[in-house]
Amino acid sequence: MVDDDELNAWFVREVLPLERALTSYIRRNWRVSEDVLELRQDIYEHSLIGARRALPLNARAYVFTIARNHLINNAKRARIVPIDTMADLDDIHHDIDMFEAERALTARDELRRAKEGIDKLPPKCREIILLQKIDGMTDREAAASLGVSVETVRRQIKLGMKALFDHMAGGSGRIVRKSYRRRADGEVLP
Amino acid sequence: MRRQEAIEDQALDWLIRRNAPDWTEDEQAELDAWLDESMAHKAAFWRADHLWQQADRIRSLGIEHDDRADEHGPRRRWWPAAIAASLVAAVGIGGLSVAPRFLDQPAPQVQQARFDTPIGGRRVVPLVDGSKVELNTQTVLRTAVGQSKREVWLDSGEAFFEVAHRDGEPFVVHAGRQTITVLGTKFSVRRDKDRVTVNVLEGRVRVDDGEGAMAHAAIITAGDTAISRGPSTLIAAKSEERVADALAWRDGMLSFDQAPLTEVVAEFNRYNRTRLVVTDAAAGRIPIGGSFQASSVDSFTRLLRDAYGLKIERDDTTVKISAP
Repeated sequence: MVDDDELNAWFVREVLPLERALTSYIRRNWRVSEDVLELRQDIYEHSLIGARRALPLNARAYVFTIARNHLINNAKRARIVPIDTMADLDDIHHDIDMFEAERALTARDELRRAKEGIDKLPPKCREIILLQKIDGMTDREAAASLGVSVETVRRQIKLGMKALFDHMAGGSGRIVRKSYRRRADGEVLP
Repeated sequence: MRRQEAIEDQALDWLIRRNAPDWTEDEQAELDAWLDESMAHKAAFWRADHLWQQADRIRSLGIEHDDRADEHGPRRRWWPAAIAASLVAAVGIGGLSVAPRFLDQPAPQVQQARFDTPIGGRRVVPLVDGSKVELNTQTVLRTAVGQSKREVWLDSGEAFFEVAHRDGEPFVVHAGRQTITVLGTKFSVRRDKDRVTVNVLEGRVRVDDGEGAMAHAAIITAGDTAISRGPSTLIAAKSEERVADALAWRDGMLSFDQAPLTEVVAEFNRYNRTRLVVTDAAAGRIPIGGSFQASSVDSFTRLLRDAYGLKIERDDTTVKISAP
């Protein structure tokens, strides 16, 4: 049994650098774009559950195999079968050699992506993130500095984190706020 | 909220609280308990924690507090330096990161073309990607095939596709509201008004119906036949024989396995200017089996007369078939 610290270190070192590739793999093979992040987290979850017994030797092949199986299982349940998924399977193992190059790239790239991601945030949100990241302020200090409540600061940080992480993983980095569709009288949602 | 989304939400809440200086041991115990509840919690929390730490590295860009100290002046004074820094970073890895992106872009030269066949015509069209399309009688087909995009539109008639395999690059056939997607296989698509029939000879194809929320898809494999009419699709049980029959036209033949005469006659009429007409219902129900030359109306009608004793009357444009 792998202990949590080791598992966490493996996850950060071997799996998270694959996030961009994994996200685009899911996006390519799954037609419902709203499902992508949900599926990715499922795949992380399954990857960790499996790796707890013993850390896999080849993380990339391991994660993508889990991804493929997960997509197929979901497709069966959803009664749609993404044909590309089946065909892609054989391709997974071809580009394992890219892994090293990709990881080297990731380290340099991450900084740039983080920077770009922060640039994209709405002004208020960006200001708060910068106060924390550059000036090293705590939530409370940032709140005092801006004259807003700690709750506001935390809410902005949370929105900022989501957009930033999304951007770092290759998404749009846009802040998504929940919107509730107004339901017409008598309308029945599926 | 979806499950994983809700978990990420909680993970971020935990992370924000944990990063605060007033984090207590009791809270840590609570967090540990939450993490132990599920591997999904760990995945979400570890990911957020790691990425948030990565974002710390922007400090190394040298953005200093002093650069934006002026509360009322232009707050973005420090951005040029930052942009320059990010440009350096971008240029540094440019060679590596830009190259793969070009591959994703559609090739500029997508060859567009239109092909058709007259009644009784048959024609093989090679496509630039190495695929081959064989058009059956009275068929109109448009193609847009390039390096990264392979799409064809079957406006009417029937075509047999022999698709060259390209990794991750599907070949898409649009036939009315149906879309047929394949990677590399052999199959035929036929359109009769709103009915679309797909026969698969080799490999597998996906048949999608419509778009939006009501869309659904079916996978059919070698030996299968999918018949769609409007929004409903019927998938006929596996029969390599029936598929072979349906594709007999490629050899100039029509093949039937106990099909009613009306259906057989309709098939002949697709290939010939001479119209065959069955004038009474009883004769129309006679089951017909066998292979016939599509272009030879005469030998077929002779066979009907000799084998079934049907009455054949012909004028310049039509042949009437009736019970004696």
